[in-house]
Amino acid sequence: MTLPILLFFVFAGIAVGGALSLIFAREPIHSALALILVMVALAVLYLLMGAGFISAVQIIVYAGAIMVLFVFVIMLLNAGVENRTQHSIMARWLGIPLAVFLIGDLAYWMARGAHALPLAERSGSLAAGPVSTQDLSLHLFQSYLFPFEITSILILIAVLGAVVLARREP
Amino acid sequence: MPLRADMMADLCRIAPELILCVFGILLVALEPFVPSSSKRALGWLAFSGSLVAIASLWIVARHPGPAYGGLIQVDNFSLFFHGIILGSVAVVILGSINYLCEERLQRGEYYALVLFAAAGMGVLAGAGELITSFLGLEMSSISTYILAAFRRDARKSNESALKYFILGSFATAFFLYGIAMTYGATGTTRFTGIAQALSISGPTLLAVLGLGMMLVGLGFKVVIAPFQIYAPDVYEGAPTPVTALLASAPKVAAFALMLRIFYVAFGPVQHIWFWAIWISAVLTMCAGNFAALLQTNVKRMLAYSSIAHAGYILVAFAASTELGIAAVLFYLAAYALMKIGAFTVITHVGGRGERHLELSDYAGLAKKQPAIAACFTLFLLSLLGLPATGGFMGKFYAFQAGLDSRIIWLVVIAALNSIVGAYYYLRVILTMYFREPAGESGPDAGLGSEIEWMPQPVAASIWVVLIIAALGTLYLGIFPSRVMEFALRSAASLR
Amino acid sequence: MSAPYFLEHIWLIPLFPLAGAALMLFFGRRLPKPAISTICVGSVLVSFIYALGAAVTLCSWPAESRSFEKILFQWISAGAYHTSAGLLGHFTADWGFLLDPLSVVMVLIVTGVGLLIHIYSVGYMAHEGGYYRFFGYMNLFMFSMLMLVLANNLLLLFVGWEGVGTCSYLLIGFYFHRKSASDAGKKAFIVNRIGDAGFLLGIFLISATLGTIRFTEIPAALLAGHFAIGAGVLTAATLLLFVGATGKSAQIPLYVWLPDAMEGPTPVSALIHAATMVTAGVYMVVRNNGLFRMAPFTMEVVAVIGAATALYAATMGLVQNDIKKVLAYSTISQLGYMFLACGVGAFAAGIFHVMTHAFFKALLFLGAGSVIHAMSGEQDMRKMGALFRKIPVTYRTMLVATLAIAGMPPLAGFFSKDEILGRTFGVNHLLWFVGWITAGLTAFYMFRLLFLTFHGHSRVSHEAEHHLHESPSTMTVPLMILALLSIVGGWVGIGGRFEKFLDPVVGRGAAVTEGAMAPTTEYTLMLASVIVGLAGIAVAWQMYIRNTALPGRIAASCGALYRLVYNKYYVDEIYDAVFVNRTKDLANTLWAFDAGVIDGAGVNGVGFLTRLIARISMWGDTWIVDGSVRVSSRLVWVLSFPVRLLQTGLLQSYLLVMVVGILGLFGYYIFLFRH
Repeated sequence: MTLPILLFFVFAGIAVGGALSLIFAREPIHSALALILVMVALAVLYLLMGAGFISAVQIIVYAGAIMVLFVFVIMLLNAGVENRTQHSIMARWLGIPLAVFLIGDLAYWMARGAHALPLAERSGSLAAGPVSTQDLSLHLFQSYLFPFEITSILILIAVLGAVVLARREP
Repeated sequence: MPLRADMMADLCRIAPELILCVFGILLVALEPFVPSSSKRALGWLAFSGSLVAIASLWIVARHPGPAYGGLIQVDNFSLFFHGIILGSVAVVILGSINYLCEERLQRGEYYALVLFAAAGMGVLAGAGELITSFLGLEMSSISTYILAAFRRDARKSNESALKYFILGSFATAFFLYGIAMTYGATGTTRFTGIAQALSISGPTLLAVLGLGMMLVGLGFKVVIAPFQIYAPDVYEGAPTPVTALLASAPKVAAFALMLRIFYVAFGPVQHIWFWAIWISAVLTMCAGNFAALLQTNVKRMLAYSSIAHAGYILVAFAASTELGIAAVLFYLAAYALMKIGAFTVITHVGGRGERHLELSDYAGLAKKQPAIAACFTLFLLSLLGLPATGGFMGKFYAFQAGLDSRIIWLVVIAALNSIVGAYYYLRVILTMYFREPAGESGPDAGLGSEIEWMPQPVAASIWVVLIIAALGTLYLGIFPSRVMEFALRSAASLR
Repeated sequence: MSAPYFLEHIWLIPLFPLAGAALMLFFGRRLPKPAISTICVGSVLVSFIYALGAAVTLCSWPAESRSFEKILFQWISAGAYHTSAGLLGHFTADWGFLLDPLSVVMVLIVTGVGLLIHIYSVGYMAHEGGYYRFFGYMNLFMFSMLMLVLANNLLLLFVGWEGVGTCSYLLIGFYFHRKSASDAGKKAFIVNRIGDAGFLLGIFLISATLGTIRFTEIPAALLAGHFAIGAGVLTAATLLLFVGATGKSAQIPLYVWLPDAMEGPTPVSALIHAATMVTAGVYMVVRNNGLFRMAPFTMEVVAVIGAATALYAATMGLVQNDIKKVLAYSTISQLGYMFLACGVGAFAAGIFHVMTHAFFKALLFLGAGSVIHAMSGEQDMRKMGALFRKIPVTYRTMLVATLAIAGMPPLAGFFSKDEILGRTFGVNHLLWFVGWITAGLTAFYMFRLLFLTFHGHSRVSHEAEHHLHESPSTMTVPLMILALLSIVGGWVGIGGRFEKFLDPVVGRGAAVTEGAMAPTTEYTLMLASVIVGLAGIAVAWQMYIRNTALPGRIAASCGALYRLVYNKYYVDEIYDAVFVNRTKDLANTLWAFDAGVIDGAGVNGVGFLTRLIARISMWGDTWIVDGSVRVSSRLVWVLSFPVRLLQTGLLQSYLLVMVVGILGLFGYYIFLFRH
């Protein structure tokens, strides 16, 4: 087992563990901190794949900006302990095993599917070798300019949504 | 810097989306400066925006071909879908103006969100590549999540939006995962590229899994079984004009994407997905129709009915021929018209606070407002599939395509299902015409002044919507040739 | 070269009533009654004139070229494709109108009888609410029915087919404050939908096989496709079409809606449920006779179902006490005759019976309406009796119609029924026998109706008696015209003239069976059907004139009737005196049977037996047919249960369902991939 693969499993484990504790934590602030953990672990995974720029953006934007905002909001709102519902026994006794089965199933078949591919096909045009920031920006602002612009509208929609849902009634 | 000719052409190809976004931003910007007494004007601004976008289709039609290196594809197919989507959105905006006044929700953001959603759907209809289509999908989804929650003070609206959001995110995550797998399997996200790779390699496991995952996301958006389960709750809880939108335009746009992915990108492996669609069609029809049978809430009943209709569309989808694609297109056009018409009637009858959604509220409507009852009857008969209505022609082409491709059992099941459908549509007509209105039993029954409930007078904008939808339904039923010819040409342009 | 005026403007025939209906929808509420009647009756009158003009023009052409097609505009085109039979189909359907001898007959029936019924309705509905609504629906019905008979392709025919169904539904439920009425409307619509689904599938199958659904192109496509007689696909297609016909024309097993449909106003029953709409199924079968001829198995099914329905419905008609219900069962029975005719290949005879039936059954219904009108809404025949003097015009016209339906020469019913029975005899003796028995039953129950209503002693309540009056002339004049038609309507069939007229449409096959029968057989059969009709009348006479005249009530009658009844009673006294020793202890109910055994003709016994059979079939109707309807609604409830179980409203369960769906999907894909 090479070092990158070892590191992958370590940080993938951290990411999954963080995600689980995000869901199961009852204090909102714990959830937020778990989310930061997930983001950081993901940044490391990106780095392992040679995507240094994305990794940096991941830390700056998610872990840095968004999560700080989350933590502030939670503190300002003074959100209490989350209530647990005891509804849907079916979801608990059937849902959890099924979800586990689904994940296992997918993982198994994906692993098999990936092995079935020749190495040349496993790497697409974008992911050939370490991606430089320059490559990325060329892709982003030339061939994928249109989706990039759409994203800005998407963010505008999200802002609008926040305004609509959170605005105080006149 | 002067615009180069090719850049200009690219801009022309996305003219409707540009116009919609400009108007959307304009609405948001103007919103604080418009006094609350004249917010209604914002609705008319949004409506004119959608009209301008429709008009811009002429410009689009003059510039067929790929834009932005094939991320967007302008062909007859995308024009057809743009027509349905923009038309639906314009009509929905018109139907919302009065409703928002009634509910005291008249805000520029509402219209802006509708326009942004429309822009997203336009991207979906024209997308020639998976990432772009994903962004279009997100644009329309997020806008509609917010719109579903627009009645913030109504618990049902909040519940509906939350359910829609969580389940929608779940489905979209699968869609994104599917994109990643498809990319992994074929090395490209362009539809034509995927088709090329697949025709060389054949169906690889990863590609097939990717397709399955994308079907989860798409199935959620077009509301087919087993991903239809959220729809009744969401449709019932959302503000009725939003329900009209949800049931029409996003569904239509998602079908456009589904057609492109299944027929263009995964066209070479048609045999892989045929039975999945077949089974889903049967499940969808049955789930929609049988659940609708016992509904007494008309809004919810129509939600189930729109599930059933997705099933009929899948019959044409499964036909795997050009006639089948054209039938899907035609059906969607007819479907959007009659569904918007029906939900507009519900908006009107529902009244302030959406208090009159039960079947019993429709008792004697034929006497109180005969024209409204007549319009509703037309839409219901069209949904039922009575000849000389658009709904009939839609079913006709769909079944014809099915029989042509020798999927006879599916057609037979669909025909039987449409008999079941007759039962619940008829019940509403029966109630409107043949039942005496019961006394008011709503929350303010004790007031005594209101012995018999009367629907409010019909607003002019509601009239316009109903007339457009009714004439359109009849037009498609009596003169379907022209639309069908266009649909056939669109189907041909897809291949 | 443009065609003569009336043919060129044939599309106006259905358009006039449509315009009338549209006017009623938009302005009806504000118009005064005279204006409404003028517009609606006027529109049908103009249609009738145009139909007459077109018919005369067409008939002036030589017989072999009597066919005219007017295509208004293209409706549907689906491009060229290859059919399963290897033909190149170029599927189109137009808004096109076809006028040939068959549609001439139908159009004249629809507009002519329709016009009379519209005039009648002016009087009948004068005191009812919703006047404009009634006439609006009626005009809409006329439009749909005319579209149905004038359509030049199956799909346009289907448009009219659904249209008449919808109007029928609206009109049955016209008195919607009665729950039974709106329920009956719904039942009619849903039962019809079952038939319609079959019909539509049949149309699809035909278009997929032959590549065309245009009536004028189907024969050529059949030739080009080199189909064998009895080819499976043709059998399937025709059976599906026939399923549609059983729904609309109330045949076994889909007849259940028609008796309930009597909840509608009586003119509606006359127009829709007797004269026109219910015969649409027969028309459709005859229209597609080329296809049906290619499917002998279907023909057998049609004949058997027709004969069975004729007998079954007739037995049920025997015990009804509601005057309209008797007529309803009678209609079902007569429709059975028409299908029997089609089934044995006598398509022209079927249409001939459609025509004569339209005359006398419309007359019977309108007469019944006049009786009900006179009786202030009473429909129970047990509360009538001895009305013939009070409403003489109604009585005389009804008598004519009853004689006609009983098949008495030289009235209309005789010719058409005889034609059908004669043709059936040539094909299958058993079917003929069933038809023959039914003819006797028909005569019996129709005269029972007549006797109970108009003869015997009066059982009318005082209140109704007080209001008893003859109907206004708007009602009686149509009755008289229809009576005239019921007398002379059959004469066009003498010497096979009617058949010859229809030859261009149903031609070739008709000639095959012709001449197969010796003239002596023909006359024997004719005699046999007259005899069985007379026997039926005699039984009715025995049971409803003699039997009812019990001691103590004789005084209620007077004059000639008194003597008549008295004498009959005297005859019964003789029976009693002769057999008193042995029958002294027998219960009153058995008396009829006992007298029948002794009676040389045995008529009373036959009557008893038929009543018994009728009871049994009524029982079957109640428990088996209605029961199955109940079971199916329960089934629907059960089937929707899983859906409702999953629709809990809880997010978690929804996610669960989605996960199960995803797993299923992946399971399927992976399964497929591995194989």
